[in-house]
Amino acid sequence: MMDNKTFIIAGIIVSLLIGCVAVFMASGDPDGLESTALVVQGQKELTGATPEDAEIEEDLTGKFSYSSPMPDYSLGEAMGSLGGLIAIIVGTILAFLVVLGLAYGIKMAGKPTK
Amino acid sequence: MHIPDAFIPIWQGAIYWIIALVFVALALKWARDEMNEEKLPLIAVLAAGIFALQSFNLPVSMGTSGHLVGGALAAIILGSPFAAVFILTLVLIVQAILFGDGGITTLGANIINMGVIGGFVGFYTFKGMMGATKSMPISAFVAAWLACLIPSLACAVEMFLAGTFPLTEGLIAMGIYHGIIGVIEGFVTVAAIYLITTARPDLVDTGVKTPSGA
Repeated sequence: MMDNKTFIIAGIIVSLLIGCVAVFMASGDPDGLESTALVVQGQKELTGATPEDAEIEEDLTGKFSYSSPMPDYSLGEAMGSLGGLIAIIVGTILAFLVVLGLAYGIKMAGKPTK
Repeated sequence: MHIPDAFIPIWQGAIYWIIALVFVALALKWARDEMNEEKLPLIAVLAAGIFALQSFNLPVSMGTSGHLVGGALAAIILGSPFAAVFILTLVLIVQAILFGDGGITTLGANIINMGVIGGFVGFYTFKGMMGATKSMPISAFVAAWLACLIPSLACAVEMFLAGTFPLTEGLIAMGIYHGIIGVIEGFVTVAAIYLITTARPDLVDTGVKTPSGA
């Protein structure tokens, strides 16, 4: 049986490997929701390939908009795959730390009441 | 199936936010009362793994890609649907704020679909199937498949209410695409449960004490 430290390190390494492979191997096709949007907008057949120039029409009136620092898990065209790798590594580590931090925080705060 | 800001009017997003916050509060309560301190590392590692898996868009043919959600995985491994709500909420927050994957006003809807619906469908399907079949792989596969499909149908209904998709077309397209994505989700979920129960049988409390599910 693995001890906690080995388990955490092994888990993070596996996660990072999945993320790094994803940067190079991930499909560029739209995801299920985007694809459905293209279908209902008549830009794509239900079972057909997605045309190169297909673009989702978004009605932004009265909608909130927000620009994230690393849109689409990249640091922009210029950074290419390297930017993608940095984005995924930052995200994976951050997901780990945020959950660990909050979980510990809750346990600490919850202690006196129990 | 991360809904972007542009797909839902703000007032509807606010309603989903309120519903989501109720479940997030319950998930925080679960974390405080039920979460075993021994398991904190497992929960954090699962979050890292789910983040990485969600970034991997796999081709599912028909000009479409899809990634895993991980709600069933989190709920099954940690033995509570609220574990899925807890982990998925935090992962979705990181994705929305840092990477623009899923909107801010639509974050509530995304938490409901992937965390709440995915977690509850995954957990209770697994529990029911385990009782009936006694087989971890079969139970986890079906649970993960449904935990991918049902949230996508909920998403289609939300898109209909938002006036973004027509109901039937949306349900058909979302259902077909995520029915395929769910098969991959099923295989990966079974593999992940197998690996984690092999490495740390003590951390998993699903009644799956051995990898064979006996």
